[in-house]
Amino acid sequence: MKVWALVVDTWREALARYTLLGFLIVSSLFLLVLTFALNLDIVDGSLAAGSLFGKAFDLHGDTPIETVVTTGESAFAAMLYGLGIFLAIFATGSQVPNLVHRGTVDLYLSRPVGRTTLLLGRFVGAVTLVLANLAFLCGGVFVIISLKTGVWNARFLLAGGLIALVFLSYLSFMYLVGVLSGSTPLSIMLPYAIYIIAMPLMAHQHIAAAMDSRLAATVVHGLYWVLPKSAEHGRDVVQLVMGKGDPSWVAMGTTLAFGAVCLGAAVAIFQRKSY
Amino acid sequence: MSKEFRSWRRRVQALDGVSFSVRQGEVFGLLGGNGAGKTTLVKILLGLGRPTAGRVEVRGVDPRRTRARRRVGYLPEGHRFPGYLSGEAAMRLFGRLAGMDEARITARTSELLDLVGLGERGSDRISRYSKGMTQRLGLASALLDDPEVLFLDEPTDGVDPVGRRHIRDVLLAARERGTTIFINSHLLSEVERTCDRVGILHQGRLLREASVDDLTRPTRRFRIRLAEGQHAPPACLDRYRAAATNGHIDVEVPDLGTLNQLLDGLRGERLLIAEVSAQRAALEDVFIEMVREESAS
Repeated sequence: MKVWALVVDTWREALARYTLLGFLIVSSLFLLVLTFALNLDIVDGSLAAGSLFGKAFDLHGDTPIETVVTTGESAFAAMLYGLGIFLAIFATGSQVPNLVHRGTVDLYLSRPVGRTTLLLGRFVGAVTLVLANLAFLCGGVFVIISLKTGVWNARFLLAGGLIALVFLSYLSFMYLVGVLSGSTPLSIMLPYAIYIIAMPLMAHQHIAAAMDSRLAATVVHGLYWVLPKSAEHGRDVVQLVMGKGDPSWVAMGTTLAFGAVCLGAAVAIFQRKSY
Repeated sequence: MSKEFRSWRRRVQALDGVSFSVRQGEVFGLLGGNGAGKTTLVKILLGLGRPTAGRVEVRGVDPRRTRARRRVGYLPEGHRFPGYLSGEAAMRLFGRLAGMDEARITARTSELLDLVGLGERGSDRISRYSKGMTQRLGLASALLDDPEVLFLDEPTDGVDPVGRRHIRDVLLAARERGTTIFINSHLLSEVERTCDRVGILHQGRLLREASVDDLTRPTRRFRIRLAEGQHAPPACLDRYRAAATNGHIDVEVPDLGTLNQLLDGLRGERLLIAEVSAQRAALEDVFIEMVREESAS
């Protein structure tokens, strides 16, 4: 009941602050553009002609439609990976700062509800919010492409699930930043910063090899293992859609571990903090 | 119990060896100027903060424990209700967090919003409420779970005189039902009218804890009211260093004998005495005097 109340509260807040509406508008625009910009001409199971934003595809011979669709979907999946995470962080960045605001946190904490329940209840609310939005965005792209081509590639939906899992880690990090700082700008900027910083770390071996100092090399390796694997997940999303192997479980495991540690730290700090 | 706020730059002793107890069913007022430590103390009593040293119990339980906050109401100072909720939705949210069942939340919400005069505005968003209205909503929210203990931090802050009177009546009704009430305020006249006992907090230290009657005990000052249109002769007043204002005679006497001599003098002048009343020390005077003495020492 208490967790349910917090989930409902999270949704109400997202509705009232127009974050949910904003997410839906951006997602809907993306879907509309995709609907009208993607034109395919399929003859006997092969793509005879096609265009995106009026630009014709460069086709070689009788390209099977499945290959074209999965290739196209993989490109969209990579795009959605960036867009989905960007929007989700933006939509949930103010959650904890709004909760821990002086005068508001007192109203919540003075009720007979545990601090862990309170924070995790809001976390669950944010997760349901983002899952619904990602389902709309990824599900919409999937339905549009599938209806236009007749190819139903369920691996595209798995890629949506992978994006959601990666987002969980960033959400946990946002909760940690929110509990520590109570600042919405920081709660939004720092996950973006980590997302960007972690990108080149995929080549940590090469970067470390180019370092003069051993300490710097260790730091690069350390950062790689500690931070979420932004680049690997982007690559995995593409490969998953194309059916070229499983995602990197090590990358996924370390990213989820990062999220778990951040969420655990957020809960522990929230438990001890005086308001 | 003590509380020290530490940062890398400095340390602030917010509470220093504060010790007191509040009896069940009484209204206890905590008085103090700005920065005296009142809000810090209330937050510790509610488990929102933890003491640096010492022990706190509310109904025999450490307030940091979740069960200690069952049937405890709190109206924080400078509260910020989620503006995106309506008054009713806020009551529902906090009722659910208190573990109340839906039917009871619905019944209590309607009853309490009516009680605090928000019955007509319950479905409006809180962001459209005035300060006085949010304060009344705060009181309704604090009373939601029919609390056994009620903590109120500046409950009449931003409320007009009529609303203040209304809040006072609500609190007195809660006291009649046996609710223990803890009020933080610097509106001393309000405290004087509402509280059974008060504690005076200054710079984190509890200077005095006593009943309102003890603190505002009768003084040697008396007010004499003469019959309509009658005036005491100045010579008579000068003899006792009495002052006449607006038909009253205010006088401070060393003993009752002197007071009666003055009354005899007035009667001797064939003046009709309508009322003689002993003046009590105002809580405000006691508070200011105590704080001044402490600051001087």
